[in-house]
Amino acid sequence: MTVEQNFEALDQFPVGMRVLAVDDDQTCLKILETLLRRCHYHVTTTNQAQKALELLRENKNKFDLVISDVDMPDMDGFKLLELVGLEMDLPVIMLSVHSDPKYVMKGVTHGACDYLLKPVRIEELKNIWQHVVRSKSRGSNNNNVGEKRDGSGNEGGGNSDQNNGRANRKRKDQYNEEEDEERDDNDDSSAQKKQRVVWTVELHKKFVAAVNQLGYEKAMPKKILDLMNVEKLTRENVASHLQKFRLYLKRISGVTNQQAIMANSDLHFLQMTSSLNGLDGFHHRPTPVGSGQFHGGTPGMRPFPSNGILGRLNSPSGIGVRNLSSPPAGMFLQNQNDLGKFHHVSSLPLNHSDGGNILQGLPMPLEFDQLQANNNNNIRNMNNNNKSIAGSSMAFPTFSTQQNSLIRAPNNNLVVLEGHPQASPSGFPGHQINKRVEHWSNAVSSSNLPPPQTSNSIHHQFNVSPLPHARPDPLEWNNVSSSYSIPFCDSAASTLSPPALDTTNPGAFSRNTDFDSNANGQPGVFYDSLQMRQSGNYGPTTDAAMLSSNPKEGFVVGQQKLQSGGFMVADAGSLDDIVNSTMKQEQSQGELSGGDMGYGGFSSLRTCI
Amino acid sequence: MNTIVVGQLQRQFQDYIVSLYQQGYLDNQFTELRKLQDEGSPDFVAEVVSLFFDDCAKLINDMSTSLERPDHVDFKQVDSGVHQLKGSSSSVGARRVKSVCIAFKECCDVQNREGCLRCLQQVDYEYKMLKTKLQDLFNLEQQILQAGGTIPQVSMN
Repeated sequence: MTVEQNFEALDQFPVGMRVLAVDDDQTCLKILETLLRRCHYHVTTTNQAQKALELLRENKNKFDLVISDVDMPDMDGFKLLELVGLEMDLPVIMLSVHSDPKYVMKGVTHGACDYLLKPVRIEELKNIWQHVVRSKSRGSNNNNVGEKRDGSGNEGGGNSDQNNGRANRKRKDQYNEEEDEERDDNDDSSAQKKQRVVWTVELHKKFVAAVNQLGYEKAMPKKILDLMNVEKLTRENVASHLQKFRLYLKRISGVTNQQAIMANSDLHFLQMTSSLNGLDGFHHRPTPVGSGQFHGGTPGMRPFPSNGILGRLNSPSGIGVRNLSSPPAGMFLQNQNDLGKFHHVSSLPLNHSDGGNILQGLPMPLEFDQLQANNNNNIRNMNNNNKSIAGSSMAFPTFSTQQNSLIRAPNNNLVVLEGHPQASPSGFPGHQINKRVEHWSNAVSSSNLPPPQTSNSIHHQFNVSPLPHARPDPLEWNNVSSSYSIPFCDSAASTLSPPALDTTNPGAFSRNTDFDSNANGQPGVFYDSLQMRQSGNYGPTTDAAMLSSNPKEGFVVGQQKLQSGGFMVADAGSLDDIVNSTMKQEQSQGELSGGDMGYGGFSSLRTCI
Repeated sequence: MNTIVVGQLQRQFQDYIVSLYQQGYLDNQFTELRKLQDEGSPDFVAEVVSLFFDDCAKLINDMSTSLERPDHVDFKQVDSGVHQLKGSSSSVGARRVKSVCIAFKECCDVQNREGCLRCLQQVDYEYKMLKTKLQDLFNLEQQILQAGGTIPQVSMN
């Protein structure tokens, strides 16, 4: 799509822009959805990252923008960000409660086009459409730039067909169109003029090896072709592939260090190009990225993902990675043996003594140590499905941001994460990744199965015998409060008074005294509220049912529940203040209402303290 | 429509909601939520806070399980729960709940089980308290509507 076409489409923007919102927190998701709708966007929501990926893969053109929370249990938001950005090339906005700059930085380096803090305000959402525009126009520019570079390389290398600039430009336009068409038509591109070449991993390996050997900057299709020495491969095939490769690298790393990453990016690149372009028989569409075609795949397959993926695997909490299901992890590694085979042509100036902290002495992002710690934990928590894979992929998180510093530091002493153009093509962390992965994979293979994640079911791990003071509770509110065996003061029982409490102000407080007296009976023991959850009935639903059934009674019940919840508030002083102030408040309200509404006495809770 | 009754109810509503803000139960985010409610989504706020309270109960339950055994506390899980709770509480404007979450997170960071337990109790208390208060508020709204009046938009400075 040309830039002009883009701007025409803008006429409709931002109304109707299709947004996919992902957040595991249903409250936030609902709010986000409403806010987005208020901005007149078309919104689809899901609370699972995996589902989001499915939706996106189903039809790449279905959405214009993705907004995703960072911390999600089933997949790290940064990982989702990475996958979406690379597979679908959609702008992604991150959402988080964390305003910590390092998270924001992480979002940026992983390709997020914006990072918003929760709670999100509608004003912030009103402008997000700009990212869609920007990304579309940037996509077109990338094509042009890539074309030009390719052209200049061609000229020197002796284009077999035409040598003059104009002819090259024509060809570039062809390439450009093919590129775009391949992007738009997800599968077969009828405009493909050349015989389809299947860029297998083997082939791509050779390609990359050739590029490395020549030096990334100087790599030209003709020379690459010669080095690769593959029959039936034409210079045009190589040129086209090279162009895509460059674009891919650019996209992964911004404008720096393409050379550094390129060797590592084989697998990922192939997937990405195929996903983007429906290219060359490299069909992964029906399956999630990296799954079908790679599992049990070719022995020579490159096990390595790019730095981008590595980076995005990084997760401060490590939760997302733990839950990596097969497909994403499978993308990275098939088996540990391959790790040993992994070999990059160019040698690294860096040396790495062991699989450990190879970044010592190098400027590192702050989170490195934290990541180290997390990684150790993460490895233990690794998903079973791909023990070695996951473990190895877990290696990357430590790598992740450090890779960036790694890349930069040895080469040019660049500041971490700054966009300086790379002078020399040499020096990428392939070796380090290799070693480190071996190290990690060894660690992983010996790791234990992760402990089962706490399920949502209620664990009745405490005494569920009936309350000593329990009376039949018609409203079932006993079942409602949280089920944990934390020593609370025993205030629960006392509040099981009949529902029809006198809720006018003074009366409310007399309840409290009863409460206290009972509490005195068993100071410091608070099982009652815990035992309230005897049924599998979880608080909320019961609450809602209760509370909505009868407003007045709802209050009362709510009141009871609150008291029985037994709040051993740590700071009794403040609570008393609250109570006193609310008392006063409600007394005045109570006067107004005449006690009829029943809400007057409510907030006046006392704890068992 | 009895305008006097409606007027009274509206005044009560106003006072009540203002008091909630002043006591720190609610903050500006709640105001924003109320603004999102309109004819198209008349129960928006009630739905959202209901979801929020559901989340609270569930998260608190999970965290309590994690904190239960002194020798084997899953602080990661607790941290995750606090994090989520903080996120949703700030999204609905449940200010006190959010404040407790901040303290809670600190206890979690240093792996202070006792502190975590205290915070857990406190957050439990706070959310239930808020739930009751909001229930009162919604009931007031209902009464206003039933009496034929409109719910005042309260602006907090």
